[in-house]
Amino acid sequence: MIKRVLSVGAQCIAPLQIMILVLVLAACSTGANTADAPAEAVERYLTAKVSADRDGVAALLCSELESQLMREASAFVSLSEAQLVDMTCTTNAGNASVTCTGQISAKYGAEVTTFDLASYRVVQEDGEWKWCGEATP
Amino acid sequence: MFHRNYRNVALTFMLGWFVLGWGESNAFLADWQAWQLEPVVTTAYRRVTLHSGPGDTYRPNDVLNPGLPIQIIERNSIGNWLRVQRVTEDGTVAQDGWLMLGTLNITPEMHFGTIPINHILADAELSELDSRSMRALYAVPVIPQLSAAMVAVFEQGQGHGRNPQQITKVGDSLSADTNYLEPFSRDGAILGPFDYLAPTLDYYGDATVHPSVAARIGLSSLVVFDPFWADKALCEPNESPLDCEYRLTNPSIAFIMFGPNDVLSMDADTYHDNMRAIIESTLQQGIIPVLSTFSYHPEHEYWLQSVELNLQLVELADEYQLPLMNLWAASRPLPDYGLDRDRIHMLQSGFATLKYDSGHETWYGTSLRNLLALRTLDEIRLTLGLEK
Repeated sequence: MIKRVLSVGAQCIAPLQIMILVLVLAACSTGANTADAPAEAVERYLTAKVSADRDGVAALLCSELESQLMREASAFVSLSEAQLVDMTCTTNAGNASVTCTGQISAKYGAEVTTFDLASYRVVQEDGEWKWCGEATP
Repeated sequence: MFHRNYRNVALTFMLGWFVLGWGESNAFLADWQAWQLEPVVTTAYRRVTLHSGPGDTYRPNDVLNPGLPIQIIERNSIGNWLRVQRVTEDGTVAQDGWLMLGTLNITPEMHFGTIPINHILADAELSELDSRSMRALYAVPVIPQLSAAMVAVFEQGQGHGRNPQQITKVGDSLSADTNYLEPFSRDGAILGPFDYLAPTLDYYGDATVHPSVAARIGLSSLVVFDPFWADKALCEPNESPLDCEYRLTNPSIAFIMFGPNDVLSMDADTYHDNMRAIIESTLQQGIIPVLSTFSYHPEHEYWLQSVELNLQLVELADEYQLPLMNLWAASRPLPDYGLDRDRIHMLQSGFATLKYDSGHETWYGTSLRNLLALRTLDEIRLTLGLEK
């Protein structure tokens, strides 16, 4: 009797487990097709730029701006403790741009200098969203 | 008592006429007329080493004690180096040499407009230097002359509606300093003996009120093109700080100095390429780029790199026929090379206005830098024939 109850329970739980797994995988995915993928790409780009992560910047920079890779990856090398503060990015309607709020904060000697985040243009290349400069209104 | 000096000036004038031609000899004539006035007499307030020429590379030839009456015989083109003589009662010249203005008791009678300029001695004596790099850096005159190529750039800019009285600044924290150039527009400027610069201050002063968006703490010759570094409240999307500043202020002249920050993060080739891009962008917009070498402390760990970067500026200025203000050379005789305790930024006098009646340019890097900028503007204004 006990065996039968367990067997019925197992039959019910298996589809539920699969559904949860699918949802979890979808949530963890950074793929290009999710609704917030452009915003996530911009967040990762800004994180790479602030960290002077050349490979990270290269992976998320659109081909149109490839010639600016050195400048983009070296933007904050003269400063110390560069970090993103209160960054929130939202994909705008049509997926063509992402608006970010928050700041980049960095130090030069003892002085703190900040850079306001703005709206950025995004493009899809080879199925991936790429940062492509600032968005014009 | 003064006959010997009259004879010297007359000989110098004749030499100028024969060697340099009529145009240049007019400058000698102006000096000759200036010499008709009584020489200014003053004293040193401290013990001073006299040099054989207007710069620290000239051999020291004597020591002048404080309190002894001396006559000012002539000056360099700026007025921060003066040739003085101590004459005994029987008319014998007991001491004769060059010193920096700030070592003297400056009197209201000192007006550099009436003191002859020595057009013969260069700003540095190169034969005293044993390093090729040092010779190359010292060989650049402290105050540049405006080339024909830059006159053409100015005219091109005027065709585009550039404001002939507007200047701006481009650079890192040394240029972002609110006491650099911005005091030109502040009330209460005291030029002291440098009163010959008053018409130039009057011409450019009003137009240098606001800070520049292309002069910022941490800015480098690379990221001056990065829109991230532009002020989002003033600049357009994708507009670099450089383009934004030129659009906002519409200048005809841009004082550009990068280096103290760049030396930490880039090699000479990269710096060269970046500076070339800045120069070309500025020229294309009909703006005269006034470059400046930068002062650096020889005991700093990046000293050799700083020399390399300054040499790139000399090369680029020569290639494009740009005005290059040699702050590096002019700062060398100052205490700690005109630098503050951090050995990066220039030492401030503590005054937010121009003050040149106390010899500040001999002791404070920022005062010297402003003086050189004003004298460079004077050269540009006079060459272009600009009047208010």
